[in-house]
Amino acid sequence: MQAIGDILENLMLPAVDPAKGNCASSLEAALAGRRGAIVVFWSSACTHCVRYDGYFNQFEAAHPELAFYGVATRFSETLDDVRKAAADRGLRFPLYHSPDGAAAATYLAQQTPRVYLLDAKRVLVYRGALDNFKYPEDPEYQPYLERAIASFLRGEPVERQETGSFGCAVRSVYYSLPLMIERQH
Amino acid sequence: MADSLSDLRNLPPFVLEKSLQSIGAVCQAAQSLLGAIDGHPISHDTVEPGLEGPNDLDRATSDFANRAARILRYAALQSAEGRGVVEELGDAARASFAGVVPRDPLSLLTFPMRLPLSFGSLLTQELVRGLHALEIVGTTRAPAFLIELVEAFLDYPVFQALQYKDEIDRYRERLRHAPDDATARLHLGRSYTKCGLYLQALDHLALAAGHPTTRAQALYERAVAGTRAGLYRQAIIDGSLAIDAGASKARCQHWMWLSSQKLGGYPPETPVERRIEMATGYAPTRLRYRDVAQEIGLDKTSGGRGTAIFDITGTGEMDVIISAVSGGISVYRNNGDGTFRDASVGSGLDACVNSWGISAGDYDNDGRSDLVVTRLGFFDGQAALFHNNGDGTFTDVTRDAGVQSWAPGFTAGWVDFDLDGRLDLFVPSNLGGVFHRSKRHRLFHNNGNGTFTDVTLDAGLTTWGPAVGATWGDYDNDGYPDLFLSSAFGRSQLFHNNGNGTFTDVSVAAGIDRPCFGMVAYFCDVDNDGWLDLVQYLWCSNDDMIHSLRHGRATEDGQPLRIYRNNRDGTFTLANDELGITECWGSMSGNGADLDNDGRIDLLLGNGGPQMDRSDPLVVLANDGHRFSNVTFAAGLPAAGKAHGANAADLHGDGRISLIAASGGMYPGELLTTSVFRPESLTGNYLNVRLKGVSCNRDAVGARLKLTAGGRDQHLVNNGGSQFGCLPFEQHFGLGLGRKAERLEVWWPGGARQTFEHLPVNATVTITEGDGGYTILKRGPNPL
Repeated sequence: MQAIGDILENLMLPAVDPAKGNCASSLEAALAGRRGAIVVFWSSACTHCVRYDGYFNQFEAAHPELAFYGVATRFSETLDDVRKAAADRGLRFPLYHSPDGAAAATYLAQQTPRVYLLDAKRVLVYRGALDNFKYPEDPEYQPYLERAIASFLRGEPVERQETGSFGCAVRSVYYSLPLMIERQH
Repeated sequence: MADSLSDLRNLPPFVLEKSLQSIGAVCQAAQSLLGAIDGHPISHDTVEPGLEGPNDLDRATSDFANRAARILRYAALQSAEGRGVVEELGDAARASFAGVVPRDPLSLLTFPMRLPLSFGSLLTQELVRGLHALEIVGTTRAPAFLIELVEAFLDYPVFQALQYKDEIDRYRERLRHAPDDATARLHLGRSYTKCGLYLQALDHLALAAGHPTTRAQALYERAVAGTRAGLYRQAIIDGSLAIDAGASKARCQHWMWLSSQKLGGYPPETPVERRIEMATGYAPTRLRYRDVAQEIGLDKTSGGRGTAIFDITGTGEMDVIISAVSGGISVYRNNGDGTFRDASVGSGLDACVNSWGISAGDYDNDGRSDLVVTRLGFFDGQAALFHNNGDGTFTDVTRDAGVQSWAPGFTAGWVDFDLDGRLDLFVPSNLGGVFHRSKRHRLFHNNGNGTFTDVTLDAGLTTWGPAVGATWGDYDNDGYPDLFLSSAFGRSQLFHNNGNGTFTDVSVAAGIDRPCFGMVAYFCDVDNDGWLDLVQYLWCSNDDMIHSLRHGRATEDGQPLRIYRNNRDGTFTLANDELGITECWGSMSGNGADLDNDGRIDLLLGNGGPQMDRSDPLVVLANDGHRFSNVTFAAGLPAAGKAHGANAADLHGDGRISLIAASGGMYPGELLTTSVFRPESLTGNYLNVRLKGVSCNRDAVGARLKLTAGGRDQHLVNNGGSQFGCLPFEQHFGLGLGRKAERLEVWWPGGARQTFEHLPVNATVTITEGDGGYTILKRGPNPL
């Protein structure tokens, strides 16, 4: 079980692109000197994640008190898949690789993108979706994560600590079936 | 030759269908014979395929046919540098047949004979479906209708397996070599819409609109993408330009209307002749709904499928479970104050991904309803059984219970078909893929020790037609629940329960076997005469749905949902005309409940379709005792949607039946949120009844209730509804202005009957089988 207020596990994952020099040796190390972090389970194949490329790239600049810890963890997604997507899409945010959903299993994450807001001691403050995005300028738009971050940084209780599962499955049952499109060799 | 073809065309469809089925049966029989010789019998078991690909010949031929269809779809995109179609087909053949290549000398001899027989039996099944399609939608409309369906079926595994990136890469690669290929540009734009990347879609569609051959469709697709992107004015302009370019006027005007609804009306620049109003949905009603999903914490976004509403841990409050086409199942626990909290993590259900239907039922009679979950809907997947641990968690017991069933599954449900006091499980097998070989449905008998035995064949349920929905109800009042199978693509079937563990197909005699695109179904008593009627929800094309919206009636050959009135003699009469059922909707889900508390069952239709240019309203048909009328828009329900798992429940214990619609679609671009439409006022008095079985199954599934109030009888059946939205077991009686509930009769499964006099009004009571009294249930405070 994992509850709001629990201390979540430290993650020690290899950087997708060590040459960028923006990754830490562990989540604990990324948290050093910060008030907290967001851990984002992510996938290069997830079309929902694509919408947040710009947001993730700007995250640490927008929230210097918080570390960003992106984890590419989709089942069967290779390091090369992730590197290629990062290059194609100009991704600059710190991205780590945990093959075949290992880290997602640790954090009980089933979908991407799924975000965990932690304080400096890795205490879980918020988990769930980034927002309820449907289209730009939606009057019903709810920035779940940004609201949680704002409350957290002000030292106030987070009103909505959890939102529903959303996005693409980390491990789809389709993986037990052959691919319908033959990959280009 | 021409004369022969002409003769064939003149044959009645029924004769052709039987001929094709006979040819298919001969192919199968010949295969069986060869299988007996070479030691590789045909396997009809719905077992999980091997990780390396198909592990039997029939599955391999289906797999190859589907792969080939996909490859041929992209054939036009082949570039000189890429692999050719033949090469890709070769790869597909290797992938499909790797697991079934003969390795012994005898099989080497029989394989060349078995292969064409396998393709032959597959082809006959496809042709039978084609015949049904012709019969259902007519020869004129069939081609366009089938093209849309085939595209959806080919897309389905690709998008669900997140391989759309490969598809997009193919289009981009093609455009790198041929930047002026407007068709590839159009499809790239459409793929971006399917992914929810609307702005990218609009850019590519604008380029495609510059080419005369793709202009009309590209502008139409821009109207769709623009509406979805919230760019309503531009969408209306694009829709109008698309009409000028020759796109379907009706479809364009529908999307222009959807945009205008968001803007509060058409912009002044919209040509008057392009503006439309809808002719249905405005019948007078006292219902007025407000979407409170966000307010109460049930605003789950994306991928909604089935819903189940029941009390998970025995708090007395109703909890809500929502499945998701992509992610895991969400569990929302009732806080007892009108709000809900997400309790998915660690529930054991959150790890169950790609789930569709959910049905609750206490199979081990421990006082806690368990869950059966189907997977993937239109693609092979493993149904799962979850045992309720009573502490908010569930354990997957599928394998231990022996209910593995690898097949495309839309719904599954509980029934005590032999009245032994234990819930049995029925899992229909649906249509899966373009080239799909029908798999048999499964009836699992509950052994009473946590395990089940597959008794399908012994029970005589030897039907092979794909079915989306099934509903159980004792239509002949002989005490035993009977089975109706709603065919996804063909003739539906009614099986009479013989009371000895076997069933008899009475479809033709009962008069319910007309071909249709049947979705879910629901046995209920729409006319309160004590005999169960049958409601079958049907799917229709986008054009038929739009026609119904515009004109308040179906096209001449359109197929509205069907209400079969029980003739009390084992037969049914299609009663649509007399009941005012005149409109076609693309119903994927549906249910019934007394929504306006007038003592009659109203109908709720969750509508839509996989295509991104499909957006249907959630429809409410109100029953006034004589006819049904469409009150959707008058009741404040929105114009757009894609509702699955439509459910109706008194979530807050105050007599107001909320409509719960888990919304989402096949494509990840369907960014929709679960809605909870709650009536703004109580439109009549009510009585809620909860049953607790003792001799019969604990959830009293199959119980019938007859309430006499104000001199009028009402009849309800406790069967979980249509199973895609698993209705709560709490039975809701509307009393109108009446202040008395004089008499309630409960007919428990197994035959016991009890009568209760002078029940309270505007209350929820619990009745335990065999107890003479009832208890009044206190529900939590309701801040709404």
